[in-house]
Amino acid sequence: MTGSTTENGIKWEVRANGRDFHQSCRRRSVLCIRWGRYADNVVRSYKYTPLTFFPLNLYEQFQRAANLFFLLIVILQCVPVIATIPWYTTMLPLLIVLFVRGCKDLATDVGRRRSDAQINRRPCDILTPEGFKTVKWKDVCVGDILRVHKDQVIPADLLLLCSTEPYSLCYVETADIDGETNLKFRQALTVTHTELNGDSTEQNLAAFDAIVRCEEPNGNLHSFRGEFHWKGERHLLGTDHLLLRGTVLRNTDYAYGLTIYTGSDSKILQNCGRLKLKKTHVEILLNKTVLVILLFMLTTALLLAIGAGIFEYRISPNYDVVSIVQRDSSPAYQGFLTFWGYIILLSPSMPMSLYITFEVIHMVHCLLIGWDVEMYWEDTNCPAHARTTTLNEELGQVGHLLSDKTGTLTQNRLLFRQCFIAGHIYGDISQKSKPLDLSWNRFSCGGLKFSDQRLVDKLRGRGSLECQEFFTALALCHTVMSEWKDGLPHYQAASPDEEALVCAARELGWVFLSRTRDTLTISEMGLTRNYQLLALLDFTSKRRRMSVLVRSPGGQLKLYSKGADIVILERLQKDWPLQESTDRALELFAQSCLRTLCVAVRPVPEALWTEWSRALNLAGTATGNQETLLEEIYDQMEKDLMLLGVTAIEDRLQEGVPETIASLRRAGVKVWVLTGDKTETAVNVGYACKLMDPDTTLIQGEELRQLLESPSPNVDVKSKEPEVWITDKKAVMSKAALVISGPELAELTKSSEWGAKFVALSGQCQSVLCCRVTPAQKAEVVEMVRKHSASITMAIGDGANDVNMIKTAHIGVGLCGVEGSQAVLNADFALAQFSFLRKLLLVHGHWSYYRISILLRYFLYKTTAFALVHTWYSFYNGFSAQPMYESWYISLFTTTYTSLPIQCTGIFEQDISARSCLCWPEIYSIGQKKQLFNPSVLASTLLYSFYSSIIFFFVPMGILQYSALDFQTLAITIETSVLFATTLEVILCTKYWTKWNVAAVIFSLAAFFLSTLALHSTRLFTASPKDYFFLGASQNAYSTPEVWLTIFVTTCVAVLPSITTRALGVVLANPNKHKIHSSANEPVELQSWFQRGTVQRRSSYAVSQGKGFGKLITTGVGLPSAAPRQDGRVTAESLKNESPQGLHIEMNRAGVSC
Amino acid sequence: MKNEGETAQRPDNTAFTQQRLPAWQPILSAGIVIPGFLVIGLAFIGIGVGLFLTSQTIQVLEMDYTGVATDSSCFRCSMTSSQNCTCEITFSLDKLFTGPVFFYYGLSNYYQNFRKYGVSLDYYQLSGDTQYFTSPQSVCSPYSYDNQNRPIVPCGAIANSMFNDTFELYQIINGTKNLVPLDGKGIAWWTDYNIKYRNPSFVNGSLANAFAGTVKPINWPKPAYDLDSTDPNNNGFLNQDFLVWMRRAALPQFRKLYRRITEGNYAAGLPAGNYSMTVHYNYPVLTFDGRKKVVFSNVSWMGGRNDFLGIAYLVVGSLCVVMSIIMLIVYAKFKFSDDDA
Repeated sequence: MTGSTTENGIKWEVRANGRDFHQSCRRRSVLCIRWGRYADNVVRSYKYTPLTFFPLNLYEQFQRAANLFFLLIVILQCVPVIATIPWYTTMLPLLIVLFVRGCKDLATDVGRRRSDAQINRRPCDILTPEGFKTVKWKDVCVGDILRVHKDQVIPADLLLLCSTEPYSLCYVETADIDGETNLKFRQALTVTHTELNGDSTEQNLAAFDAIVRCEEPNGNLHSFRGEFHWKGERHLLGTDHLLLRGTVLRNTDYAYGLTIYTGSDSKILQNCGRLKLKKTHVEILLNKTVLVILLFMLTTALLLAIGAGIFEYRISPNYDVVSIVQRDSSPAYQGFLTFWGYIILLSPSMPMSLYITFEVIHMVHCLLIGWDVEMYWEDTNCPAHARTTTLNEELGQVGHLLSDKTGTLTQNRLLFRQCFIAGHIYGDISQKSKPLDLSWNRFSCGGLKFSDQRLVDKLRGRGSLECQEFFTALALCHTVMSEWKDGLPHYQAASPDEEALVCAARELGWVFLSRTRDTLTISEMGLTRNYQLLALLDFTSKRRRMSVLVRSPGGQLKLYSKGADIVILERLQKDWPLQESTDRALELFAQSCLRTLCVAVRPVPEALWTEWSRALNLAGTATGNQETLLEEIYDQMEKDLMLLGVTAIEDRLQEGVPETIASLRRAGVKVWVLTGDKTETAVNVGYACKLMDPDTTLIQGEELRQLLESPSPNVDVKSKEPEVWITDKKAVMSKAALVISGPELAELTKSSEWGAKFVALSGQCQSVLCCRVTPAQKAEVVEMVRKHSASITMAIGDGANDVNMIKTAHIGVGLCGVEGSQAVLNADFALAQFSFLRKLLLVHGHWSYYRISILLRYFLYKTTAFALVHTWYSFYNGFSAQPMYESWYISLFTTTYTSLPIQCTGIFEQDISARSCLCWPEIYSIGQKKQLFNPSVLASTLLYSFYSSIIFFFVPMGILQYSALDFQTLAITIETSVLFATTLEVILCTKYWTKWNVAAVIFSLAAFFLSTLALHSTRLFTASPKDYFFLGASQNAYSTPEVWLTIFVTTCVAVLPSITTRALGVVLANPNKHKIHSSANEPVELQSWFQRGTVQRRSSYAVSQGKGFGKLITTGVGLPSAAPRQDGRVTAESLKNESPQGLHIEMNRAGVSC
Repeated sequence: MKNEGETAQRPDNTAFTQQRLPAWQPILSAGIVIPGFLVIGLAFIGIGVGLFLTSQTIQVLEMDYTGVATDSSCFRCSMTSSQNCTCEITFSLDKLFTGPVFFYYGLSNYYQNFRKYGVSLDYYQLSGDTQYFTSPQSVCSPYSYDNQNRPIVPCGAIANSMFNDTFELYQIINGTKNLVPLDGKGIAWWTDYNIKYRNPSFVNGSLANAFAGTVKPINWPKPAYDLDSTDPNNNGFLNQDFLVWMRRAALPQFRKLYRRITEGNYAAGLPAGNYSMTVHYNYPVLTFDGRKKVVFSNVSWMGGRNDFLGIAYLVVGSLCVVMSIIMLIVYAKFKFSDDDA
């Protein structure tokens, strides 16, 4: 063949039917060592095997700094010289933490295994020497020949060899890969088509021994380069020979393919990024705080150790009682030992149990999300599901919501709702209207959401010529293919709009029956007529219209056109009638967020056709700038049109989407839409779902570029509020939306400066629409937002094309759509409906943030106040690391005495009821602004705990220093005070008192007193005097009134700042609260804009990113009774011609044969 | 996936799962908070005044007998290292010191709460387990064995450093010294005396034999079984003074109960008059700049004299009252400005 292309990168070799060869090179791995070349087709997302669970899980757990730290502490405690408190004080909590965490990991991994197994178990047909045999997906091997039947998911990346369709064409749905639901074509090489097809396909395939050389596995979905060697010939392979794993075979009975890439080598899995552990901002801040506490602890321990050294040096030598127990070691050595002693003693200030409580609370919050009936979708029996259990509080802080369009905002169901014909508007958009009686139409399949009996009467009565002509146009002017099922025509269209229109025409009696290359057969009210198709002037996104030139059975030549209103209206005859009412109709449709298309006709004189067809043929053979040439020629034909009418199509939104978006916008969430769809569709949906107001201006293309390029001195990218736009464009920007397309975006993301500008600019706008973006670009956009803004990003989508962005965003939400489960499997949260986001964010998110903030603050307070007391005591015990508390108290304080009340608060607390959260979304901004958990809040918490610890020690010390009470009594006094104060603090935090909260508080206090009595009892002392030497101390202490008076006053003084601030808050908040409520009314304006503003018309035509099926139809490929094809082999030139997007079907190689 | 669980996954509609548990939501307003603060403040002030006045009625007499000053009577004893030094301290009471009078000894700059010191004892030994008489636990070292490798009982630093000054109190009536009877019974905790510390069971009817093979702590003049020659029941680990000493103090400045004055003519208290106290000065503290003192005090329902407690209550109460006033001002200002608007 042409060209000698042994290029670099073509190293992957696949031998057809070479199972043994490929098996021998199978990739295997033991531990981290891998060898072999070809992956097997098993999905392994699990982490552990029974053997590796223990070491691996422990290894992972000890990667957490907190766990490692406490392990070190336990080890230190085992060293007798420095063991200030017994080893079990730390060991017990640590074991509990490790155990709970391990159980959780195990459960998650079992779940992963289960879902893996489900995928790996799926059946597929594989060619064996005994014929086709059904095996499981996991058994597919490179080089195998597979048979895929209709509606089956393709198990691995296959090279299409042949199919049961003519020309070995086959249709695939790529919804799981790029989110587009329209069908794509794949076509086998001519050589395999002709050689393998026939009566004995199976024998032919069994004898098939070609070798494929192609690229190494990569994640580029839209490119594939390879060579096909068979029978001494070499053929080039491209992306349209490849059936990707995860796509679904449609409209094709059987397709046969050669397995090229399996399992982790397949394009879709190569596209899946690595699983990244997501951490919330709160957790990061918490970790930093813990680090600060650690540093503080080390410093304190160091200072105290120095104190110990000085004590040892200056005082001890004279003090034989002490110096002898120190065994004459040097002061430095004593200081060194004391340092470690204090590390052990102060280690409880590290909130170890916080991490486990944090996880438990997260899990409960996740369960609560799953239990929410309001987020349960009856139709699919699908409750909400939190798959990642660490991100809850971030749900309350989302600043940017990046949403997919198809299947997320819209149902991807287009419905013909209204039309305008000859001055009349037919149909109404109210939901209530009863469906039409279409029993007279034998082709009716139902599904028409159009109800206007007048139109039906007119059509049936043949009263209105315009109406008939209008529907004739709809039935003729399209690129839809028909397929017969149960005696009814079903349509396959590249554009869902076209499908909706042709279906509507079918329901109303103008039934498109079938087409061949040159003819169109339609049934007009039961009367079958054949139109000769002379030319098809296909749609491109630049032309925004399409036309067909037909010869009616009566012999007239007619050009039927449909397209966006602007392009059609400017091509109408001069002074066309009904100009005013058309404008009004268009406006009306636009207000109802319907998508409009204008339909027009032009009778063409025979002479003009002859002349024009000659020009067209000339252009077809011309080399060079063929496309522009064709466009010009088309343009000549599409003029002097007569308007037939206007169609209005509803891009059906998911339920509650506009309300949800409006609510989220009020909550201050910036909603971006990222879609692979084209600009017009996205903009339309944007308007429809209240993402933009009707009078919002769109900034796109060159204008946007200028805005970004303007090197205004006022722009300071670093400051978050660039002033350039405020000056003159402020008014515009607040009602503007940015629209950017994939290629533009690619440029933008290249330089970080532009990205920052863009994100800053978007902050001034209502919304951002990114159209025609690839899955990878979606992720890039998310990355860009993450990088250049401090806010939390949330990505929501339903298809596999959203997986990247779902993974990249702080929080990924997957919709359990009708399509595959890829998005859900990679998401952190799974919802059934977009509208559930409202409750998820505004209620669950807000509550989680509130609860977790309180929880963390309280924990930090509790642990640091508790542990710092030792420090103050050091000044009175010669820096000897003498604990202030009984060792049992140290180990039980955080785990038993004070854990339940705060956990109850963390689960049940509600600052505002769910209803109020939804009514006043503005409250949500608390989380976005991080008002409840930020460095200054943390600093004040730590300061407060510092203060409390001082009080805890010095007040009892001051009171009891003049009495003859001993150390154990002081210890019990302080222990009780600390417990009372921390309990009082949690009582102050709780605003929502359920019976559980009350029970938890009572339980904790009871637990303290009972266990204290038990631990100080005779029985335990006699069992082990060494561990329970506080015998009788509590009885003695609690029978002393002085102790109680001390406890009481200490507790009160310790929490006094907290009570005072809260009281001041109450006193000061009253007037403020009033203001908040009055400001809550402002966003109601949203509604009024809708009425007031000038409505911009939106007219468009939603076609997939490439061209329509036009070429395919005119070339006749895949159509019956078409002329035999010309040489279809791939040439180097045609490969070069491939469009850069590589998305559409390139049918050039057959040549234009009109 | 969704076809697997055929049963409806509809969540339960319960108050708990839907987070609609009945709850009490205290709603605070300025009308509650400000009077609340005032009431709490006044309550504290009330308690504080009560405590302070009670504390004032308690009589305390403190006397330092360390003998640092050259003119003090115990100066001589503080200088010598002789074991049997006595000195005399005289004092006079101008009114009745109401009984029962508690007689404390106090030490300052003495770190009984030093950690290594504090753990230096063997609870097994002290609970009378003779197994630990022959081999004391290692925490006692270096007071486990003497230099001839004989086990020390009771072992450890606390026991070894037991306070061993003794006092005799005389009332001087017309130049004659009348001995004031001091009651040394029941000055230790009940749990210590009855549960925590146990003497070893007698061997051949004698406590001393039970201690056979052990040596007394190095600093002790007499072995444990011979601490109180007057009362054979007050010996061994159940000696009251020993028990009091073993209950270590919380702070470096502490006092411990020595005796109570409850008997005879002095049951109602110490009458006004002149007193003399004979100190058997044995315990050296000057090496570490420590001080020794004796304290006489009576008690009320709230314990010994403690002005700090009452003051603490008064301060907290006043703070609350002040806060309530501030809040009232703030509230009034806000309220009025809000009305103006």
